Amino acid sequence: MMLQMVNRRIAIGVATLIVVSVIVFIGTSILPGDVAQIILGQSATPETLAVLRAQLGLDEPGYIRYFLWLGDMMTGDLGTSKAGGASIASLISGRLGNTMVLAGLVALISIPLSIALGLFAAMHPGTWFDRIVTFCTLSLISVPEFFIATLLVLVLAVELNWLPAVAYMSGDESGWELIKKLAMPIVTLVIVVSAQMIRMTRAGILNVMNSPYIEMAILKGVPRRRIILRHALFNAIGPIVNVIALNLAYLVSGVVVVEIIFAYPGLAKLMIDGVQTRDLPLVQACAMIFCGTYVVLIILADVASILSNPRLRLPK
Amino acid sequence: MKDNDTVIPSTGELSYLDLDRADQALVEKAVRKGYSRREILKLMMATGVTAATANHLFSSGGAVLADTPKKGGSVTMASNLHGPDDQLDPILFTSTIDYTRGRATYNGLLQLSNELVPEPELAESFSSNSDATEWTFQIRRGVTFHDGQPLTADDVVYSMNRHLGEESTSVIKPALASVQSWRKSGPREVKAVMNTPNADLPVVLGLFQSKIVKDGTTGEGNGTGPFTLESFEPGVKSIHKRNENYWREGANLDAIELTAITDKVARINAILAGDVQMITNIEPTAFRQIESSDNVKLLSIPAALQMGICCLKSTEPGSNGDFVKGMQYIQDREHIVNKILKGKGSIGNDTPISKAHGPDFCSELPQRQYDPDKAKYHFEKSGYSSAEIHVAPLVSGIEDVVLLAQANCSKIGFDLQVKRVPTDGYWGAIWLTEPVNVVFWNMRPTANSQMALQFATGAKWNDTHWSNPRFDELLKTSLAETDPDKRHAMYCEMQTLIHNGSGMVIPSFSNVNDAIADNIMGMPTVPLGQLGGNEWPEFIWLA
Repeated sequence: MMLQMVNRRIAIGVATLIVVSVIVFIGTSILPGDVAQIILGQSATPETLAVLRAQLGLDEPGYIRYFLWLGDMMTGDLGTSKAGGASIASLISGRLGNTMVLAGLVALISIPLSIALGLFAAMHPGTWFDRIVTFCTLSLISVPEFFIATLLVLVLAVELNWLPAVAYMSGDESGWELIKKLAMPIVTLVIVVSAQMIRMTRAGILNVMNSPYIEMAILKGVPRRRIILRHALFNAIGPIVNVIALNLAYLVSGVVVVEIIFAYPGLAKLMIDGVQTRDLPLVQACAMIFCGTYVVLIILADVASILSNPRLRLPK
Repeated sequence: MKDNDTVIPSTGELSYLDLDRADQALVEKAVRKGYSRREILKLMMATGVTAATANHLFSSGGAVLADTPKKGGSVTMASNLHGPDDQLDPILFTSTIDYTRGRATYNGLLQLSNELVPEPELAESFSSNSDATEWTFQIRRGVTFHDGQPLTADDVVYSMNRHLGEESTSVIKPALASVQSWRKSGPREVKAVMNTPNADLPVVLGLFQSKIVKDGTTGEGNGTGPFTLESFEPGVKSIHKRNENYWREGANLDAIELTAITDKVARINAILAGDVQMITNIEPTAFRQIESSDNVKLLSIPAALQMGICCLKSTEPGSNGDFVKGMQYIQDREHIVNKILKGKGSIGNDTPISKAHGPDFCSELPQRQYDPDKAKYHFEKSGYSSAEIHVAPLVSGIEDVVLLAQANCSKIGFDLQVKRVPTDGYWGAIWLTEPVNVVFWNMRPTANSQMALQFATGAKWNDTHWSNPRFDELLKTSLAETDPDKRHAMYCEMQTLIHNGSGMVIPSFSNVNDAIADNIMGMPTVPLGQLGGNEWPEFIWLA
C-alpha cells in the first residue's frame, strides 16, 4: 500500500521534472538575446555572432537542442556551459556542496527550535511567553531577509568587526573559521524560516486541541503536557511536516538574496547567472536539481504524515 | 630606528627618517590616505612644524613609501560582476574580472602606460614602415610559459591570428581588422602586414584581449604572466600564485584572489570589514562612506567615461544648429563635476576626447562655458521654445545632469521636458532613435577609435546622425600619419569639427572610481578600466 503510493508519487515526480524542463527551456528561449550575444556583448558583429553560434550549436532548431539535452541528461551527462565552456557538473558540484552545507546547518538549528517554540506556545496559549513568540514571529515574517541580512552585516561586521561581512569561502577553512564565516547567513535564514514553522506548529496543535478526543482526554484528567505530546502532536504532524519540507526546499533553491548579500557561492545564484547569460544547459541543470528537491521532500513529508497518522493509509 | 634600507640624501633638514615613530606614522597615514600636499602641510603646520620642513617631510615620507616595494602578502579583489561565462581565453574577455585574471596570467606584445603610450612587453622593440602599412616586432628572449616551454615567434603569430578571419570570435576583431595577416619573418621577429595603414595598432596590442597564448591552445591559464593559475572556478573565484620564473622582476605579492560581489552595498561592507582589499565600481553616493573610513581609500582615476546628450542631426530639433548650441551653453559644467560627480570627474568640451586620452586631446580648443545669455540667444534664434529629452539611469548622475539642464532652461524661459524611461531596452528603442536622448560611453583607448565609433558617416553607433566629409577624410588619413605633431593637428581639427558642428553635448566625463585598502601602494593609473586599467597584479605591494 505504502510502497504503491511512493511509486506513484515518484512517477508523477519524474513527469513533473520533464514538464518543468520544457517550461524552463521555452522560458529561457523567449528571453531576448542569446548566449552568443551575451558573450560578445557590445562589441558583437553579425559575423562573429554567426561563427560563435555555430561553434556553440545554437544554429540548430530549438526542439532538436531540447531533445539533445534530454538525451544527454538521461545518460547522466549534464553537458558543458555554453557561456564559459566549463563542464556543468564541475560548475555545479562545488556550489551544490555549499548550498547543502548552509541548508543543512540552518535546518539543524531551525527545525528543533521552531517545533520546541511552537509546542511551548501551544501548551500555554495566551500567556506572556505565547504572546512574545507570536509577536516576534509575526514581525519577522513581515521583514524581508535582505533587511535582516544587511542589518546584521552593519552591526556585527562593519561596526563591531566580530564576523566577516561576506561568507565568501576560500575552501580551506577550519571548523571555527567556517562557523564564523557562515554565522550571519545561518542566523538570517534561521530567522526567516523559523518564524513560519513556529506559527504552523502552534496553529496546527491548537487546531487539534479543539477536537472531541482531546476534550475526552482533558475530561479523563490527562495532564496538558501529555495531551499535546501524545495525542495532539501526532495528529497535527501532517501540516507541520509539509511546512518543514517546503522551507527546506526553499533553503536549497530560494536563498538567492542571502547568497548575493553574503557573496556565498551557492546554487541559486548560479542559476540566476545562468539565466543572465542565457546559458540553457546550466539553467536546466539547476532547475532539475531544484525541482527534484521539491519532489523528494514533498514525498518524504507525505510518507511521514501517513506513518504518523494511520487513518491516512486507507483511501477514502 | 633606521630599519629602512632607503637612504634619503641629507639636506641638513629634518627628514622622514629622523621623526619618531608616532610622527612617522602620522606622515605615513597622511601620504597613504592620498592627502594632497596642501592638506598635509596644513596638518604638519598645525603641529608647529615650519612650512619648509613640513614640505620636505612630505616629499621624503612620500619617497620612502613610494620607493621601497615590499615583497609578500596577498590581496583579494572583488569586482562587481562574474558568472559562468568567466573566461581563460583572452579573445573572449569582456569583464573586469576576466581582464584582471588575464593580466595576472598572460602578457601582451605591448602594454599601455598610465598615459596610454604603448611600451614593450613581450616585444622587445617594435617599429613600422613610414606609411604604417607594415609593423615589425622583435620577440623577447628568455621568456617561458608557466609549463616551462619557451616563448617563440610561432606562439605570437598563432595568438594574433586568432583575431583574424571568418572563424574568429574575437571581441576586438573590428579593431584588428586593418591587419591582413601576421607572419613570422625571423626566428625572433614577427610582422603584421596591414590592409589599411593603422598607426594605432600598437595601442590595440596593449588591450586586454591581445594577450599571447601558447601555440595551438585557447589560453587555458598557461601564460607567460607574473602569476601562475592555481585554481579557477567560473562565477566563484580564481587563485593565483607568484610566478618565480617570471622574465621581469616579478610580482611583489605572493598570491592574489579574484572574485566578485554583485551587490554594491555588500561589496562596500566587505572592504570596510577588511574581508577583501580591492573593490570596483563605487558610485558618487558612496564616496563619503569610503573616504571617512580609516583603512580604505578611494581610487579615482580621470578617464573619458562620457556622459552625453545626443541631439539627432537628421531630425528636428537637432537639425537646427542653434538648438544644439543652446543645449551646449545651458550646461553648467562646473556644477555637474563638483556637485553631481562630487569632484570625481572632468569638464567636457562637447567632444568625446578628454585629457585622459593623452596627447590626442586638443587642449588648444577653447572651453565652452555655462552661459545662460548665449543659450537664450541661440534658443530664440532656433525658433524652438520647448523640447523633449529621454533619459534613463544608464550611469549614476546622468539623470541629475538632465534635471539640472531642465532647471537652468526654465530660468531663461525654455521648456525642456524630461521623459524618464527604464534602462531595459533603452539601447534598442530610445538611443539612436529619439530626437534628444542621453548616452554613456566607456573610454576607448585611442582618439581615433573613439571618434570613429561615434562620428564617422554611416557608423553603426553614430548617435547624433552627424556627417562631415572633411571629418571622415581626416579619420582615415590620421591613421596613416606616423608624425606625432601632424597627427595632433589632425585630431585637433577633428575635435573642433565635432565641437562646432555635431549634435553632441558632452558636459562632463566621469572618473573610474574604485576603493582599495589603505596599505596598497604602487597602483597603476591606466584609465581604460577599473582599478587602474586592471594592470595592478604585477605592480602593487603592501606597505
